[in-house]
Amino acid sequence: MYLIQHSILNSANHYPDNEAFRYNDKALTYKELVEQSHQLAHLLISLGVQRGDRVGVYLNRCLETAVAVYGILSAGAVFVPLDPYAPPSRNQFVIQDCGIEHLISNKSQEKNLKNTLTENLNVKSIISPFGADSISPFGGGWGVDFATFCANLNTRTFTQKNLQKSLSTKPQICILEEDLAYIMYTSGTTGTPKGIMHTHRSGLAYAKLSADLYNVQPTDRLGNHAALHFDISTMGYFTMPYVGGTTVIISDIHTKLPASMVQLIEKERLTIWYSVPLALIQFLQSGIEERDLTALRWVLYGGEPFPAKHLRTLMEQLPNAIFSNVYGPAEVNQCTYYNLPKPPKDDETIPLGKVWGNTEILIFDENNNPAKVGETGELLVRSATQMKGYWDRRDLTEKSLYKREKINGCEEVFYRTGDLVRICDQGDLHFLGRKDRQVKIRGYRIELDEIEATLTTHEAVDSAAIFAIKNDDEAYINAVVVLKKDLETSDLKLYLSECLPAYAVPSNIKFIDAIPRTTAGKVNYKILKTS
Amino acid sequence: MTETIIQYIKKEILNDPSTTLTAQDDLLGSGLVDSMGFVRIIAFLEEEYDITIPPTDMVIEYFMNIEAMSNYVAKLKG
Repeated sequence: MYLIQHSILNSANHYPDNEAFRYNDKALTYKELVEQSHQLAHLLISLGVQRGDRVGVYLNRCLETAVAVYGILSAGAVFVPLDPYAPPSRNQFVIQDCGIEHLISNKSQEKNLKNTLTENLNVKSIISPFGADSISPFGGGWGVDFATFCANLNTRTFTQKNLQKSLSTKPQICILEEDLAYIMYTSGTTGTPKGIMHTHRSGLAYAKLSADLYNVQPTDRLGNHAALHFDISTMGYFTMPYVGGTTVIISDIHTKLPASMVQLIEKERLTIWYSVPLALIQFLQSGIEERDLTALRWVLYGGEPFPAKHLRTLMEQLPNAIFSNVYGPAEVNQCTYYNLPKPPKDDETIPLGKVWGNTEILIFDENNNPAKVGETGELLVRSATQMKGYWDRRDLTEKSLYKREKINGCEEVFYRTGDLVRICDQGDLHFLGRKDRQVKIRGYRIELDEIEATLTTHEAVDSAAIFAIKNDDEAYINAVVVLKKDLETSDLKLYLSECLPAYAVPSNIKFIDAIPRTTAGKVNYKILKTS
Repeated sequence: MTETIIQYIKKEILNDPSTTLTAQDDLLGSGLVDSMGFVRIIAFLEEEYDITIPPTDMVIEYFMNIEAMSNYVAKLKG
């Protein structure tokens, strides 16, 4: 097994009738997934798609995503997830940036596609893998209106009828593990999106390492909360198929209605859950006490720190599950883990933990020298799961890497995470903030994340976000706070001045109803700074 | 009541008073309304109809479309 799609071939051999993916009440077995992926692959190849070509997956959370991913991979092409809820300009950028000529989509996206596609984008075809009479609730056929719109752009539309005419045999393509499998675009905190290129090797390495670490079995059922463009989805789309288990795709509507989502977890008897902390925190007020979630044995979270106090409350509701803090920039997927069999005893930040297999780390000071033991430094990672580079950005790629040659002719390439860490006495890595979340106020260095964590310790505060605005050469700290009890700004400032040095107390505190988030569920600092 | 909710959503959430929106349209599943939009709709319903919506009631049955929301509000006021 050396390509990501070998997973589903292997699982179809051993467990042909196991459900590979489920969505609401519909499912695809491994056998069906292999057949339909091959059909899609043959169609793509007949349209001229060659090894390494980028094919866009322009879909909401739905069952089609599974066929899209494995169909594109089986054609030897590279899947590029596009977020239909992002501004059209963002998707237009991605389509042009990596030269996407074909899209996999479905009828529910017609309106979004109409707002996004223009003639100069050069999209040659749009394929809907499912038919109107089949298992997709979104109906596979295209509306007449949409087909006309596409025709005017010289874009052809295809549906399941076209797939059914294709072969279901494995396409004979020559592709190696080091060839590209997928590109995930990341916005970063500034500037234009970068396409993180991942190979079959990095994707499969992640699947193997995570399957081992969490002892994933063919009987496991994972709740996939993340959209495809966020790398948390790789557990559902790569790891579960690797072992032959089931991935339950949580629908868009469920992600917005936590009470329904918790009911779904119970109904599907999910054994593994993986999402950003925000989705988990929402469980707490959604009637979780009434549900039987004893089947859950692992709850993984990543993307952001999970405040210990909320984590503890949730863990007390799910005593059967072991929680795992997953850390890793999208450039390397995952690189550390910290498992919590029991709720945290205090409110200290949860550690990143230990480095996992097939991975090496370095901790560097500002001069690229190894930090002394126990000292803070930037984390560098070398891993089987690391990216090949940023699409068409050799400059940024070079800048992000540190290379050394300990043995002549054998280069070791590390990725600079931009995250500050330190190893504690217990040997666990601790996260101390982003290098770019560090500012200087009146000459003092401050970690914005530290101020955020301090704000959250106040009993009236539900959540907070801190950001700095730079005016000339001075930086001003601003805070937005979501309260759970009444509180005056002056009281909060007083509390902070007792916990933090004067220069670290925010100059501006605003109370708001909800903290703006990105589509991945992380705090959207960009919006906060501009509004 | 249904009409008031439709008008609110068209104007304040979709920012397009002229768009077509029916009481049966799937708002959340289609992506027309995102999580932030949903939070604002809840706030609007609570204020407009003087009700409190507990998080345990934020389920598909009550919020899948405007008709469901309308029925739910009527039930609460009940």
